[in-house]
Amino acid sequence: MSSLFGIMSVALGALRASQGALEATSNNVANANTPGFSRQRAVLVPGDPVTEGSLTFGTGVMLQRLESVRDPLLELRLDQESQHNSQLDSLVSSLQPIEVMFSDSNSGLGDGITKFFNSLNQLSTDPASLTLRQGVLAAASNLANVFHSTASNMQLQRSNLDLNVGQAVVQVNQLTIQIAQLNHQIGTLEHVGQDGGALVDKRTQAIRQLAQLIDVSTIQTGDGIALTTSNGTALVAGDQSLALTAQLQPDGMLHVFSQDQDLTAQLTGGKLAGLLQVRDQSIPSLLGNLDTLAAGLANGLNAANRGGFDLSGAVGGDLLVPPPASGGGAAASFALAVNDASLLAASSDGSPGSGGNLAVLSAVHDQATIQGRTPTEFYADLVASVGSEVSSGTAQLDASQLILRQLHDQRGAISGVWLDEEAANLLQYQRAYQAAARVITTVNDILDSAIHLGKD
Amino acid sequence: MRVNPYLTADLLAALQRTQQEEQTALLQLSSGKRINQPSDDPAGTAILLRLQDRLDSSDQYLQSIGSVRGQLQTADSALNSVGLALQRAVSLGIEGANGTLSDANRASIATELQGIQDQVVSLANTSFQGRYLFSGTATLTKPYTPDPNAALGIRYDGNAGTNQVEIGDGFRLQTNQPGSQVFGTGGNSMFQAMQNLIQAMQSGTGIDAAVSGVRASYDSISQHRVFYGNAVNQLDAQTTSLKSEKVELSSQQEAVAGADPIAAASQLSNAQNSRQATLQGMAKVMQVNLFDYLR
Repeated sequence: MSSLFGIMSVALGALRASQGALEATSNNVANANTPGFSRQRAVLVPGDPVTEGSLTFGTGVMLQRLESVRDPLLELRLDQESQHNSQLDSLVSSLQPIEVMFSDSNSGLGDGITKFFNSLNQLSTDPASLTLRQGVLAAASNLANVFHSTASNMQLQRSNLDLNVGQAVVQVNQLTIQIAQLNHQIGTLEHVGQDGGALVDKRTQAIRQLAQLIDVSTIQTGDGIALTTSNGTALVAGDQSLALTAQLQPDGMLHVFSQDQDLTAQLTGGKLAGLLQVRDQSIPSLLGNLDTLAAGLANGLNAANRGGFDLSGAVGGDLLVPPPASGGGAAASFALAVNDASLLAASSDGSPGSGGNLAVLSAVHDQATIQGRTPTEFYADLVASVGSEVSSGTAQLDASQLILRQLHDQRGAISGVWLDEEAANLLQYQRAYQAAARVITTVNDILDSAIHLGKD
Repeated sequence: MRVNPYLTADLLAALQRTQQEEQTALLQLSSGKRINQPSDDPAGTAILLRLQDRLDSSDQYLQSIGSVRGQLQTADSALNSVGLALQRAVSLGIEGANGTLSDANRASIATELQGIQDQVVSLANTSFQGRYLFSGTATLTKPYTPDPNAALGIRYDGNAGTNQVEIGDGFRLQTNQPGSQVFGTGGNSMFQAMQNLIQAMQSGTGIDAAVSGVRASYDSISQHRVFYGNAVNQLDAQTTSLKSEKVELSSQQEAVAGADPIAAASQLSNAQNSRQATLQGMAKVMQVNLFDYLR
C-alpha cells in the first residue's frame, strides 16, 4: 500500500479528523456558558495497519466519534443533593413569613397576654370602676384580635403554599413529558450507535430540574432511563410519561395523586416536599398550639369568672366564648362573651367594691395549666419552636449548599469547558490540519515530479 | 486533575455569603440586638419573652402602687383627724368631770361633744374618688348613716370584707380595713363610747368611766392607723424593689439579646474586606485566558 496515493489518502483522513476535532472544539467554546453542557472530545483512533512483506504501514487516523465527557454517578449525586437542597430551600422560605409574625416582642400574642393580665391588676386598685373594667374588656378584645390575625395569617400562608403545590405539579408534568420525548430521541440515536451528546445533556438538565421539584430516582433500563419517586411511583418509563394530578381533597388542600394513589404524605424531596412539610405539618402544628393556648386561656378565665360576682352582685358567667370542645379553631374563635363591663366578676363577696375574685382571674397568668406551662411560658416555647425550625432548616440548607457547590465544582472539573484547554486544542488541531495540508502539497509536488519524470 | 473552569458560580456564592455577613453585622450594630428574629437564637427568644412579661408586670405593679397610694393616705389622714377629735373629746370629758361645773356648763360641753360625734361620723364616711374607704368591700355604700331606729342612732351599712392588690409577684397588699373593724361594733364601738360620754355629761354621772371608754376607742383607732402607715411604707419599699428588679431584668435582657458592638463592628469590617478582595480577584481572574495570548 506504500503508494503516493496512499499517503494522500492518509493525509486526507488526517484533514478530516482535524476538522472534526476543530468542530468539537468550536462547539465546546460556543457552549462554554451553556448550563448542563458537557464538553465533547474527539475520539481519534489509528487506522488498521497493513502489512506488505516485512513492513507494516499505518493507514492514518480515523475520527471515531465525538464523545461527551460526563460522570453518570456524579450526575446522580447532583440530582439527589438538588432534591435535598430544594426541599430545604422551600421549607425555609415558606417558614420565614410565619417567623415574622412572632418576631416583634413588643406586639403580638405575648404582649397581648401580658397586657390583659396587667389590666386585671389595674382593676384590683378600684374594682368598682367602670373605666378600669372597660380597660379589661379592651385588653381582652385586643388579645382576641391578635389571636385572630395570627391564626388567619397562618391560614393565608397555608393557602399560598397550596397554590404553589398546584403549580409545582404542573411543572413536574411538563418536565416528565419533555424527558420522555428526549428518551425517545436518544433511544433512536443510540439504536444506530451514535452518541446522544447534547440530547443527553438536555435530559440530564431536565432531570435536575425535576429533582428540584420532587424526589426522583433514576434507573437505567434497556430503552433509556426510567424515573420514579422514592416510593416507587413511576414518573417516566422509556418514552412514556405518567402525569401527576393535584386534586382538591376534603381537608381543603390539594393532594398529589398518581392515578388513584395519594402520594402527598410520601414525597420526601424537592420543592414539593418542602411546601408540603410546612403546609401539612409545621403550620397545622403551630395552629394546634395556638388553639391550645387560646382554649387554655378561655377555659381558665371562664372558670375564674364563674367563681365570682359581677358588679350587680350576680354570679359571674363566661367571660369569653367557650372554645370548641375539640379545642380545634379555639384561636380563630377566641372572643369576648360579654360586652357589658359590669359583667366582669371581680367580686368575691357580691359587693361591687370587692376585687377578691380578680386574684383568681389573675392567677391564670401564673398557673401552669397549659400543658404544664403558664400561658406566657407556653407562648415563649411556641415562638422558640418556630425559631428553631427556621434555624435548623437554615443550617441544613447552608450545609447542603456547600455540598451542592462542591458537586458542581466536581462536575465542572469533569464536564466543564475550560477555555485555556480549548485554545490549546484549537492551536493543536489547527497545526495538525496545516501539517496534513502540507503533506498533501508535498505529495502533490512529488506526484508532479513523478508525472514529469522522463520528460525534457 | 482538571479544575472547575466555572469560577463565576463559586465567586458569586462567596460574594453572597460576605454580603450576608455584612448585613447581619450591620443589623446588629443598628438595632443593638443580637437576636432580631426567633431563629437567631430560639432558646434566647423564649427567655426574652418571659423577661419581657416580667418587666411589663413590674411596670403594672408600679402603676397600681401609684393608684392605691392615694386611697391609703386618705384613709390614714381621716383616722388622724378622728384621733384628734377623740383627744379633744377626752379633754372635754376631763373638763366636765370637774365637780364645780354647773349643769349649763356641762350641757354646753355635751353640745360640743355632739358636734365631735357628728364630725367622726362624717370622717368615718370618708371617700376617695367616689369610693367609701371604711365600708369594707361595699365601697359604693355610705357606711354610717344616722338612724333613729338603730340602737346608737347610727347604722353601719358596710360589710367586713377587705381587698388586696398584687404589687409584686405573689405579694398581695391589703388595701382597706372595714369600718366595723376600725371603729368597733355595737357596744364596743367608738360611736357608743362617744354617745356614753355625751349622756354622762348630760346627766353628770359616770363621766370618768365614759372618758376612759373614749380613751380606749382612741387607742384602738391609733392601732388601726398603724395599718395604713405600714401599708404606705410597704408601697415605698416595694417601689424601690420593683425599680431595682426592672434594672436587673433589663440587664438580663441585654445579656441575652444585646449585640457586642465591638465584635459586630469587626465582623462588619472583616466582611467588607473579604468582599472587596473577592471582587478584586474576580476582576483579575475573569479577564485572562489563553485566547488573549494567541494573536
